[in-house]
Amino acid sequence: MRSNSVGRNRFPRYQLAASAGFLVIALSLIGGQSSPLSAVPQGQTQSKAATAAPQAGQQSPNQPSSSQAAPPAQPAATPPKPLVMIDPAHGGTESGAVMNPTLLEKDVTLALARRLRIDLGTRGFVAELIRDSDVNLSTDDRAAMANAAHPALYVCLHATSEPDGIGIYTAMLAENGATNGPFIDWNTAQFSFLPQSRTAQQEIAAAMQKSGMPVRSLTAPLRPLSNVTSPAIAVELAPAKADVSQVSAGDFQQNVSTALANGIAQFLSNSGAMR
Amino acid sequence: MIPRQFLITVTVLFALTIAMSVYVWQLRRREIRSPQVTEKNEHVAPPTLGPMEQVTVYVAYDSPGELRAQSISIPLAAGRQQRAEGLLRGLMTIYNAKDSTHPVAGGAEIREVFLLDPGLVVIDVNSAFVEGQVSGVLAEELTIASLVQTLAANMPELTRVKILVDGKEQETLAGHADLKGFYDVQQIAEVVKQLSTQ
Repeated sequence: MRSNSVGRNRFPRYQLAASAGFLVIALSLIGGQSSPLSAVPQGQTQSKAATAAPQAGQQSPNQPSSSQAAPPAQPAATPPKPLVMIDPAHGGTESGAVMNPTLLEKDVTLALARRLRIDLGTRGFVAELIRDSDVNLSTDDRAAMANAAHPALYVCLHATSEPDGIGIYTAMLAENGATNGPFIDWNTAQFSFLPQSRTAQQEIAAAMQKSGMPVRSLTAPLRPLSNVTSPAIAVELAPAKADVSQVSAGDFQQNVSTALANGIAQFLSNSGAMR
Repeated sequence: MIPRQFLITVTVLFALTIAMSVYVWQLRRREIRSPQVTEKNEHVAPPTLGPMEQVTVYVAYDSPGELRAQSISIPLAAGRQQRAEGLLRGLMTIYNAKDSTHPVAGGAEIREVFLLDPGLVVIDVNSAFVEGQVSGVLAEELTIASLVQTLAANMPELTRVKILVDGKEQETLAGHADLKGFYDVQQIAEVVKQLSTQ
């Protein structure tokens, strides 16, 4: 009786172990085929990962998947990747500068923002766009969205037809624009982040100069820079010569985006956001 | 039988109607023949209110995006408010010139300048000024820095400047430069340094 009962108990255990083994093999095979899904930035939500989507630098299907090379990832092992909030200025009925009848600032900024999102993704950052379509957003809405996300850097993109070089701007704020107790004045919310914003401005200007681009670093009375509670800069894309159509040219935009991404990466690694 | 007085009255009224019609027709012909007075869409020259003075104005150069100090001679009144208006209208004369380095739209002008307290000036520009402004962060910053620094260079007591459009507050100058707040003269002086040394 005893031996029978033991035999009956042993058989289901063997069956259970075999089933579990098959399940593990099947899961590892599935995991190997869909490796891009396993590259969702830890600490970020699925939606954030989706906006950072076409990240060419992520694990290629030819490389061994992390689930095959190592035991299952531990959720708290890697810190969250720094978030860069990209704001393509204007949009909807607010077209910004009309460079020529078919070239509007709102379209130029959105195209550059999408390129920059990809370039930052390849460098291991999470990049989100304030707008990814042709919609109206007030400057207050943009600042509120950026402040809610707590980014490591906020980058506002503009474009002009004046061939004065690419402008990199920080907020123009009075020196006494401090906080009042626990409350932060909306109009001078950027004040305590200005030193970091200026560092970002210098790092990015240096990276762009290294790429041979004419750059100017200035302060500007520009919303929503003054309302953002994180390091914040604005970049104004400008043609190198009088040819306005250059600002929408793919190769020109790509060069600017690459140089910007290099500068942002430099700033974030120096500021400790990567640690 | 129609009464005689009634016939006379009707005849006189009919004659008056014909006469007045002829008169109106002649007036209309004369009006058509007379030369048309067209609406001038040009900047109004600053009125001569006082003796000529040598002053420094800050002129924007769209290319290469700079602000330069320039000495000009303009008539200026003794009153502080008229003096401030005279300075900015002198600057607008430069921007309205054919070979302007920072062109403005025809009809763009400074409507009024108000001195609210010793340190605060409100500049009221017209809508043509804003409509003709080149849209861009730097282009708009040049305009604002030029206006504010021109006043600050000639009015040492100035600390803050507010810009209105047709007497009303506007969000931006042409989509970029913030017009909701007050401009701090010291900050603009810093910007002028940046725009002069680049």
